[in-house]
Amino acid sequence: MKPENRIGIFLCECGGKIGNRIDLPQVSELLRYEPWEHLGVYPYPCLAPGLEAIKQDVQAKGLNRILVGGCSSRVMKKRFTKALAPLGVERHQVEMINLKDHVAAVHEATPQELAHKAAALIAGGMASLRLLEPFEPVSLTFEGPALIMGGGFSGFIAARELARHGMESVLFSKAQSPERVLDELHWTFPGCRIFCGDLADLLREVFTHPRVKVMPDQPIDYIVGGVGDYHVGLKQPDGSVTEVAGAAIITALDREYGPGNIDYIGGGERVCDLLELEEKLGAGDISPGKMVFWVNSPQHGQAAQELAAMAAWRDSLVLAREHPQVQPMVVYPANITLPLSGNDLREARTQGIGLMSYAPEVHPVVQSGFLSFVSPGDNLEHEVEWDTLVVPGAPADPVEKAQELLRWLPIYPENGGRLQKSHIKFWPDQIPDESLFFTGSAGGVCDLNEVIQQGKKAARGVLNLREKALQGKLVSPVVVHVDKDLCEGCGLCTEICPCGGIEHVKPGSGPIARETDNHLCSGGGTCAATCPYEAIKVLNNSTQQLEARLKAILSRMQENEILGFVCGWGGLASAEQAAVKGLTYPKGIYLTPVNCLGSLDPFILSMAFLNGAKGIMLAGCTPKHSCHYHYGVDHCWYRVNAMKKLLSLAGLERRRIAIGYVEVNEPESFVRMVEANMDVLDKLPPLPQDDQTKARLWAIHATLHRPRVRWVLGTSLRRPTEKEFPGSQFNAVDADETMLEVLREEFLAARIIKAISDQPLNPPGIALTMGEPVKSITPLLPDMAQEGRIKLQGWEGGYPIYGLGKK
Amino acid sequence: MSAQKTKQGKKTKEGKKAKKEKDDGLIRFKINGQPVQAREGWTILETARQNGVKIPTLCFHPAVEAIGSCRLCVVEIQQNGHTRVAASCITPVQGGVDVLTDSEEVQNVRRWVLEMLLAHCPASHQIRELAKEYGVTSTRFKTEHPEDACPRCGLCVRACDEIVGIRAISLGNRGVFKEVTAPYHQRSVDCIRCGTCLYICPTGAMEQLFPQVSAP
Repeated sequence: MKPENRIGIFLCECGGKIGNRIDLPQVSELLRYEPWEHLGVYPYPCLAPGLEAIKQDVQAKGLNRILVGGCSSRVMKKRFTKALAPLGVERHQVEMINLKDHVAAVHEATPQELAHKAAALIAGGMASLRLLEPFEPVSLTFEGPALIMGGGFSGFIAARELARHGMESVLFSKAQSPERVLDELHWTFPGCRIFCGDLADLLREVFTHPRVKVMPDQPIDYIVGGVGDYHVGLKQPDGSVTEVAGAAIITALDREYGPGNIDYIGGGERVCDLLELEEKLGAGDISPGKMVFWVNSPQHGQAAQELAAMAAWRDSLVLAREHPQVQPMVVYPANITLPLSGNDLREARTQGIGLMSYAPEVHPVVQSGFLSFVSPGDNLEHEVEWDTLVVPGAPADPVEKAQELLRWLPIYPENGGRLQKSHIKFWPDQIPDESLFFTGSAGGVCDLNEVIQQGKKAARGVLNLREKALQGKLVSPVVVHVDKDLCEGCGLCTEICPCGGIEHVKPGSGPIARETDNHLCSGGGTCAATCPYEAIKVLNNSTQQLEARLKAILSRMQENEILGFVCGWGGLASAEQAAVKGLTYPKGIYLTPVNCLGSLDPFILSMAFLNGAKGIMLAGCTPKHSCHYHYGVDHCWYRVNAMKKLLSLAGLERRRIAIGYVEVNEPESFVRMVEANMDVLDKLPPLPQDDQTKARLWAIHATLHRPRVRWVLGTSLRRPTEKEFPGSQFNAVDADETMLEVLREEFLAARIIKAISDQPLNPPGIALTMGEPVKSITPLLPDMAQEGRIKLQGWEGGYPIYGLGKK
Repeated sequence: MSAQKTKQGKKTKEGKKAKKEKDDGLIRFKINGQPVQAREGWTILETARQNGVKIPTLCFHPAVEAIGSCRLCVVEIQQNGHTRVAASCITPVQGGVDVLTDSEEVQNVRRWVLEMLLAHCPASHQIRELAKEYGVTSTRFKTEHPEDACPRCGLCVRACDEIVGIRAISLGNRGVFKEVTAPYHQRSVDCIRCGTCLYICPTGAMEQLFPQVSAP
């Protein structure tokens, strides 16, 4: 049974910072008819005496919903949840309304005026709390081996760590013996030969360990399932698919190096790259004389140059020890940090290995037998003699096999081909246990030693999950829930989800309802805002809660005031920072923080207008690199754009809704944004309250609930890097016009439905009610009747009569 | 400052001997002559604020553990004819004492602290305002970095650790060289850019520091 809602409201005076600016007794008065069990004003609820008082009230009155009207939820919520946890109050049962930074500190109005705003925001918080739903966390099993995919070297380390700790693993590797692995290692880690002895021991242990099963690398058909229970389909040469199951996946991917840029140097056999040198070293085919390693190619970045310098140094050591007839020398650019220790430098002296830096501003010149470069020490040009010239290999893009793997995992290529897993920047308590393990140099240029550490770390992560599962503590937090009855299995959510929180299904399995993997879910919520059938719910942060909150706020707003949405990162931080800095802005904007603007369902926007909002402003992070949910803010842009189109179709001003971008440390920009937007909206009249406008706003709202509109909107949510457009559209204008066409048609259909909602009408009657020419609606009516959206109820005077209900 | 620290140590020993009213678990003492009640575990600062007595603070924030580093919240504690000055944010309540929050002695210490702060972080608007409130407009100490606004109170560092749980920033170096920085003086890639440090910084210094400690 659903426990009764018992809401307690605790208003903070903050030693006068709030109490002097907002008339708190009046706030209490304004909230008198709201359904709370307790309402009190406290000098400092967050200090020990205040917390004690709250605890007493919670116990005495059996409160199970706590609303604190005080300051920033980001900073203070933990203090309250920690104090209330012993009383059985969960984190989501505590709601904070930031009266200090959104009301008291930033407006110049009187305490009485601000009391109205404070009361509205609190009433909104209460409305949201009332819709909280209890849910049972799901315990996960964690059985089977770890699947180590991708073939990176860190996979071997991970397998060894797991085996040593008694966990089985299946390792997919192109090479099927330690020798083969070492033969190919220099393609990913040049300069590794010096370690080959130690690595051979490690690899032998992995290949012979009873708990490690080494399987040949096979093309991947699918990866489905979630933490604790993954299924990987492997394509067999005969076209069939075999399935391997495992509890966790470790993705070990290393970046490969391709041939160095040596064509322009020429020199035939005497000039080679590091990869060729390694092969010669392996074969023992080294010609005597002076060998110069020239670390060039600044275009690959300093990290790559540092790695190349390190590789050259290591190969020089091998040469000095095994081939004394060779005199190695490393020539490196002065702007990189030579990753060598004092001991290394001493060893270089004793072994006779030369180390020379060159000024990177002047490109060294290759001559036959000489390399000339400018020394940064004396600005003089120097020459070194060479018999063999070695340059680094060039880092290559992720190979096709890796791309195939990435299709199934929340790992994305960033600028420069670097791979990056999702969940980059979150509060640690926003995501449960680390369960997405991605290791290897594909995630960023790094040395073999570092990759080994990454492999160990991933193994420890998997072991941590297993340990938790053994104790029965591996719990799926349940963030997102898919309603199986509503889900049509279209898969749009899986496509759109940036974090892998919505599982993939096997190819060809048809439209089946999606499962969620809440261990990966970041709570960004764009999936819920996208779903054409509104089947996805972000638990305890649901669109229904937001709708209730906004309705409560809107009912207390005045006609010239506007709604503001700030994302939990750039927008919220800047808005609160404005208060800290003592900036002020007009009080007519009512801010509602959301996790990400991407979580805003388009119908939230239309609902706000339908309920009388004069305008809406949204402030989120700057698209591309700073959105914490990858593309959330981009997705929101498309929804705002659809809303703009609908407003202009309804004959209203597009500028009633505006989106802006602000970073975490930009309070001034936020204030400018608010002021500019308020200026624009001040020039507009409040929303007309006539029946015609109301009918149109209703139709906009209905349009945004239509699966067809939501589908088209969902498929057009492109990622900013994508150059292609969905379907048969070839450019931005085409794509936009398709969207507009769908919106126009559905908007008209919604208006027709609204027109006949009171009484059945014939086409001229409908057109008259809508204020449109008859010919604009007649083509639509038979189609709508055929779809069953409207009913033909009979004929009168040669005209069909349409209605909503049965005849 | 060190003299006060030793006094502080002496005080905690005395604290154990505190006279407690057994019946209702309340600890009774006086703040500026006004009788107040507190419970075990409360600090003098918390009790004072609960009773509407203002005590200035800089390095104190309810969301993180108090460490008493700025010494602005000093109060005078009188007991059995003895008197001592202690940081109220970390001093637990004690039965039967008289706490003075604005006595001659307290004001004197506070002015000294403010003078030092004014010399150390003169660029902070908030520090200058606070100093002015206590009549401190100039400092007898040498100002080495006129552009500095950071009092090294470590509130941002504690917030990043205790509230966020990331530890992207830390206090580097010691003594007069102490600074807020990220490990190895590199812009921290661990920083999630939540803005908690910016929000909590009492002097506005983090705004300048943030781009130096956080990798975009």
